[in-house]
Amino acid sequence: MPRRRFLKGGAGLTALAALGAAGAGTSLLAGCASDLTGSGTLPLPRPNNPVKWPVFAGNTAVKSGLAAEQGATLQIYIWEAYINQDVVNSFAKKYKCKAQITTFNTMNEALSKLRSGLTYDVLVGATPDVLGQLIEGKLAQPLNHSYIPNISQAWPDYTNPFYDAGWQYTVPYTIYTTGITWRKDKVDENPYAMKNPWAMPWQPKYSGRVAILDDYREGICLGLMKNGIFDLNTTDYKQIGLSRQSLQDLSSLVNLRISNTDYSDVPAGETWISSAWSGDMAAAESYMPKGVNVDVVGYWFPADGRGPVNNDTMAVLNGASNPVLAHLFLNYLLDLPNALNNISWNGYMQPLTGVTPQVLIKEQILPPSLTSTVVVPSNFRTGLFELQLPVDADALWQQAWLVVSNGI
Amino acid sequence: MVSQQSTRGKKNAFWVALAAPGILWLAILFIVPFYAVLSIAMGKLDQLIAAPVAVWNPLHWSSSGVIDVWRDIFGANSFAGPIVLRTIVYTAVASLLCLLIGYPAAYFVARFAGRRKSLFLVLLIAPFWISYMMRMLAWIDLLSTGGYVNKALGLVGISPVNWLSGNSATVVLGLVYGYIPYLIMVLYAGLDRIEPALLEAGRDLGLGRARTFWHVTLPLSRQAILTGLLITVLPMLGDYYTNQMLSGAASTSMIGNLIQGQLGTPGLESQGAVLSLMLLVVLLVPMIYYVIATNREAAT
Amino acid sequence: MTVTNTASTKATPDAPATGPRWRPWLNPWRHPWFLEGFTWLYLVWSLVPIVVAVLFSFNNGRSQSAWQGFSWRWYFTDHTNSVLHNPQLHAAVIQTFRLSVLVTVIAVPLGVAFALGINRWRGPIPMTFNFVMILSYVVPELIFGVSMFIVFTTLFSTVHLGTLAEVLGLVTWNVSWPAIVVQARLVTIGRQYEEAAADLGANQFQVMRRVLVPLLAPAIFASAVLVFSGVIDDFVIVDLLSSSAGNTPMSVIIYSTQHGGNGGPALNALGSIMLAMSLIIVVLGYVGYRLLTRGERGGGLAALAAISGES
Repeated sequence: MPRRRFLKGGAGLTALAALGAAGAGTSLLAGCASDLTGSGTLPLPRPNNPVKWPVFAGNTAVKSGLAAEQGATLQIYIWEAYINQDVVNSFAKKYKCKAQITTFNTMNEALSKLRSGLTYDVLVGATPDVLGQLIEGKLAQPLNHSYIPNISQAWPDYTNPFYDAGWQYTVPYTIYTTGITWRKDKVDENPYAMKNPWAMPWQPKYSGRVAILDDYREGICLGLMKNGIFDLNTTDYKQIGLSRQSLQDLSSLVNLRISNTDYSDVPAGETWISSAWSGDMAAAESYMPKGVNVDVVGYWFPADGRGPVNNDTMAVLNGASNPVLAHLFLNYLLDLPNALNNISWNGYMQPLTGVTPQVLIKEQILPPSLTSTVVVPSNFRTGLFELQLPVDADALWQQAWLVVSNGI
Repeated sequence: MVSQQSTRGKKNAFWVALAAPGILWLAILFIVPFYAVLSIAMGKLDQLIAAPVAVWNPLHWSSSGVIDVWRDIFGANSFAGPIVLRTIVYTAVASLLCLLIGYPAAYFVARFAGRRKSLFLVLLIAPFWISYMMRMLAWIDLLSTGGYVNKALGLVGISPVNWLSGNSATVVLGLVYGYIPYLIMVLYAGLDRIEPALLEAGRDLGLGRARTFWHVTLPLSRQAILTGLLITVLPMLGDYYTNQMLSGAASTSMIGNLIQGQLGTPGLESQGAVLSLMLLVVLLVPMIYYVIATNREAAT
Repeated sequence: MTVTNTASTKATPDAPATGPRWRPWLNPWRHPWFLEGFTWLYLVWSLVPIVVAVLFSFNNGRSQSAWQGFSWRWYFTDHTNSVLHNPQLHAAVIQTFRLSVLVTVIAVPLGVAFALGINRWRGPIPMTFNFVMILSYVVPELIFGVSMFIVFTTLFSTVHLGTLAEVLGLVTWNVSWPAIVVQARLVTIGRQYEEAAADLGANQFQVMRRVLVPLLAPAIFASAVLVFSGVIDDFVIVDLLSSSAGNTPMSVIIYSTQHGGNGGPALNALGSIMLAMSLIIVVLGYVGYRLLTRGERGGGLAALAAISGES
């Protein structure tokens, strides 16, 4: 069903041009240093550079052993259409409370509203690349692990993920990969047999039938990988420029569509090739038109696991009026039956040890032809995460994407 | 006369009192936020969280945002030029179509609908009552490859057209569809007022239908047309969701899409603000013309 | 000026006398079939998607193009996803109505009074504010919404995000409708009726109430329609100023769902409910207005006209 981050954005090529003249390594923003304010930089988690976030005085975890709040309304802040209302209702019934879901469309919107003082209890859907802003901005509170015993049901990696050592602030919600989806009945090529499957969209004969995700990270990453670059957090302006150029070529080659509706366009046959999130395509069956079998939809992800992988997390917000209920909610979603119930509606996998391809197929949540959308624990280790970039590099990515999505 | 002057003084106070609430409201809730936009446009960037920081004191304003945007449009490596041009072309074509389609319909309902006027009015108003989004969604459905539009074309032997992927005709028609109800309402309100006696006078003097229209009706509806164009053309220039929903391709993007992209990107909000202000400056010209024309009409 | 029609010698004074034969298409008083046909064509083009949307709100499946049978599922029978049972959709309908009624009730009188006052008051201040008001119409909505967001979260932070902020923002955004439309109509009306009434001894308040407002009634009605629908449709400003599911109206849900998810025919059901309720309100309002002004309107004008010597 869902999804999300369509941060269209960016600005001039001027920055890239300026960098070209000044040489590699020059900070984009050095020229207008007077326009910056504030101080410091955020720590940047990487798989080989795990980060243990600080715990601030005045923003400590709730005490242990408290009872759940009575007669309360749990406020959940989450991406649009990203959780099964059934699961929320059954949680509310179990803990004799109410639950209200408020949604956001972009992460930027969510952060702006949180910074402006709006408080909710639980934030669902923050990816690791914004954890720095959440935590250093004191928007999230540390977790009290005693309320969340079900963490044992999650993959062992999550008790000490590199982006949140010691799982101080987050538990995982979903895990997903970014691959290429295609219609086997409309497209001759098979990415599994191609030499450079990431280049599959670059085919003029499918003009008008090619789409890519409307997300600046995913977009530029596609360009990078097509050119054989697999550092998805690169700060090298030349690489970013190369990706931008490839994407612009793609745009004029196939009259590229940039949208996040691949989850329904591909099953409907409007789009034949698209970059896609695994969770979107896992739900393809419910979007197939009458009489068309879901077998015709394919999803490819590199066999060696060297492709984009990402995590959505759950966190308890600072200023939550029902922190104990919030913790219990996180715990609830880490329980296998609830997770399966959620996945059956959501499509996106949750990284619990009990969620295996066999279980998903047996529970008829996933058609056998789409087992490639399942994420396994090794993906967490070998996959390429799109993580937080330094501010100036992030600006380069944004600019490149703005040109791609607007500039012809 | 003394009494006239004192009545004029009283007259003035009455109208001032009527206008005062509106003036206060605009001052607090429009002018102040407008100043906030200026402060963001000329403001700073918090480098930790890449959020815009408003600078309230004009003496500390920085022009780097303006320079960046200027270079985007006119500089050596500019990319925004074609977008500006495209926006102007789409809006011009769409507005013309709106007028060509809307004027006859409004004219008919205002002048000839007779007893069925209420029926027509309800039908004309109906698009307002169902959300614009829903109408667009329905169109997206109708325009899809297997949708009814292509099916209808198939009946006449035309092969299916890809309407929804970077098709400028779809975007222009979408703009027309979205804005024409507003134009028709305004035209109706204006045309309704034209004295039938004036038209009959024209006929009595021997003008045929077409010439009556040209020499009598059209000049009398000038104000309505002007107002109608004002409320369609100017917002159309800032529209972004029509293209977003009906096309999604970079080849049809408009200035509104660029602004939306910048405003939604951490670190580029100030540029989005600058671009919006530039758009406003451009729109000032027709606005000033409208105000002068309206005042001239009122004075006569 | 050349007279193209010589005096008729026929018995029927309507027929043109350019020739012996009756040419129906030259009759200036004939019914304009072409115009009427054109208008109907426009109405069909305009309303077909609405009909489709309403139709598919009764669809028994999730599709919006393949008919899968008739059902009330999305309205109230489906226990999780129907408008009645899904708390988000439910709250959205209520909030949309709350906002549209509140904003219309505030913005229309504000705008009409503003238009009347600005039009009659000569001077630099009214001209400036007239300009500001048009500027408020012309500003791209997104930047206006962002400015409201900034103002309500930093400067006027006692008005934090929520329904009050939404109402204030929407009124400011929509007050230009009545102001512009009423001003345009004022210009066409001219001053003769007011002056006639003043000569007859009416003070300004009476002039306004008994002459101007009835004359402006269509414009006021048109602008109320525009404001009401502007609020129903608005998703840019409200999205930025909403704070929870309780104050998120229908338009925002539709916009978000189109981008991020798929609510399916439940959205169509939402829209159809809005359509039905709004039609009822319009009909009630129109009937009420006709009842209230039945005696006054025609009578007042005719009396004025007779006394001032116009026929």
